[in-house]
Amino acid sequence: MLKGADIVLKCLRAEGVELVFGYPGGAIMPLYDALEGSGVRHILTRHEQGAVFAAEGYARVTGEVGVAMATSGPGATNLVTGIADAKMDSVPLVCITGQVRSALIGTDAFQETDVFGVTLSLTKWSRLVRTIDEIPEAIAEGFYWARSGRPGPVVIDIPTDMLKAKKEFAGPVKFTPHARPADAKADGGFTDTGFIEKIVALLQQSSKPVALVGAGAKLSGAIPELRQLLDQLNIPTFATVHGLGAVPPEAAYYLGMVGMHGTRAANTALNETDLLMIFGARLDDRVTGEPTRFAPHAKIVHFEIDPAQLDRVRPCEIPVIGNLADTIPAFQAELRRHTLPDFSGWRAVACGEERAELDPRGLAQPTIRFLDELFSRLPQDSVVIADVGQHQMWAAQRYRSSSPRGFITSGGLGAMGFALPAAVGVQLAKPDTCVLCVSGDGGFQMNIQELATVHRLGLPVKMVIIDNKYLGMVRQWQQLFYQRNYAETDLSDNPDFVEIAKAYKIHSFRLNEDAMREFPVSTETGDEIDRFLRSTEPELLVFDCAPEANVFPMVPAGAALSEMLLEEEPTQ
Amino acid sequence: MQSFHIRYRNTQGTLMRILNAASRRALDLPAVHAEPSEHDHQVTLSLEVNQKQVGQLFREWYSIADVIKVNSGAAADTWTAHPPAGVALDEARAAARA
Repeated sequence: MLKGADIVLKCLRAEGVELVFGYPGGAIMPLYDALEGSGVRHILTRHEQGAVFAAEGYARVTGEVGVAMATSGPGATNLVTGIADAKMDSVPLVCITGQVRSALIGTDAFQETDVFGVTLSLTKWSRLVRTIDEIPEAIAEGFYWARSGRPGPVVIDIPTDMLKAKKEFAGPVKFTPHARPADAKADGGFTDTGFIEKIVALLQQSSKPVALVGAGAKLSGAIPELRQLLDQLNIPTFATVHGLGAVPPEAAYYLGMVGMHGTRAANTALNETDLLMIFGARLDDRVTGEPTRFAPHAKIVHFEIDPAQLDRVRPCEIPVIGNLADTIPAFQAELRRHTLPDFSGWRAVACGEERAELDPRGLAQPTIRFLDELFSRLPQDSVVIADVGQHQMWAAQRYRSSSPRGFITSGGLGAMGFALPAAVGVQLAKPDTCVLCVSGDGGFQMNIQELATVHRLGLPVKMVIIDNKYLGMVRQWQQLFYQRNYAETDLSDNPDFVEIAKAYKIHSFRLNEDAMREFPVSTETGDEIDRFLRSTEPELLVFDCAPEANVFPMVPAGAALSEMLLEEEPTQ
Repeated sequence: MQSFHIRYRNTQGTLMRILNAASRRALDLPAVHAEPSEHDHQVTLSLEVNQKQVGQLFREWYSIADVIKVNSGAAADTWTAHPPAGVALDEARAAARA
């Protein structure tokens, strides 16, 4: 006879889980009681949001399912932002929550929350376990849905009496989904190849084709196939923030990031193209700008695993539903039998010097210089985790990773406070990798308590705060679109982050913009950055940034990509 | 007003997820009828929707784990990958840009 809690842990082990992130509490105590000797290592964070973001970081960098645990009520509701984040960014995540005992459900008992109901619209699948017999099936099915198709979050809510109850345990079960009529298209059984000739015909008619790469590329695991295809097509190519790293940055046809803070070259090409080929991107408004004026001359071919993502912004001419690992090779094989037009003239225009950034070395912007210095000194295969705000966009613009999982950020939900706990999860997954966490002063304070987790585990995470003493991105919008009415974005009374880190027994130091005014930077500054990056201990570097530094290019909300602002314009 | 028939396995939350696809778009739900149907369940919804929303709803319903089949009452509109049943591409594009 085993307790429900032991069965949960055995089922987790059967799913390959070695690491879970969580925070204990009343209803989930039986599960914590069973942890020792279970083979599942628990990482105690200092807030449930830290736990779920850490689980996300682990999942994002490994591609495996991240697991977070919390108790009922506030413990469970503190997971909600992370669950929403995982839904938006297609992160495989299983959250296990304790619930009040079965007899109390629905009575507004102490720490009772309907977490099943609260998370219904944020999850791919969820289950409130009613009997101990359901536990193996619930865990097997939960992991199946978290991993399958477009990955996403799952919640399994277990009443405390189910965790305490005992039963004979026959072993973990395997979940097999019911077949559905159109599943062959969505789940990788890709057989419909009639579309390929149509795409080839569109390419042959096109004079200005482009390719857009999104998160689906890395999620599919089809990066080598995608890179081969892009080499074959040899057309101007750009990426969403989650597609960064999927295309080697040195590729001659690569134009960088597209969208609200995308490169001038990428946004211009997207505005001019007559054929847009999308590989695993859902086209949210940060990518499209004003949807009605998105790629106004283009026909669209959309390779996508999740049918729900098609036609959200505008209809596409040819949808290709399936896993890129199946659809790209099928397309590539057919493409080899055809001769494509010579796109070199278009490529030369789209990738030409005239469309390069106005200030490619960031000479006018010391923060960009600082990030360039930092990134250029990173060891190969480092992972950069960015929080949300100006520093996130600067980092996305400047970090040129050729690893599809080398740049991690909360892109869809834009959840401030993501980076530090996510870095904990990344570092635990990749103990020998240099993990650099870049935050703003606002976002860092949203989960600053996870410095305790970093210290307790001795994780050599390298943390950088770009400290402009403002909620910088909001302030930038206030400057540009609200007549500099800096309502409630002033953080000039920030604490001294260096002293705070010291209180957590983490080595920390400060650099200011003056150190970046020399070009190249002084040997002393360079050595200090090198020491920071190569330290085997946790380290915090606070970079004092000009309060009113802005991120450019920028497409104002509601404007078309063609209307991007390239540099500061006078406030109207 | 258009009718939609969605066949689903009556597992926890599936009906709520189906309804949520409509409510998250602020669509009124004037008529909802759910009942057992053969070995599964079926819910019939009447919704005031535009062509763009028809395509979105079909796809979103079909992405729910235990939804089996989605039909529209307007015609013999079994869910197909693309374009939304009965919607010509030009019409759909015009609706999307409206």
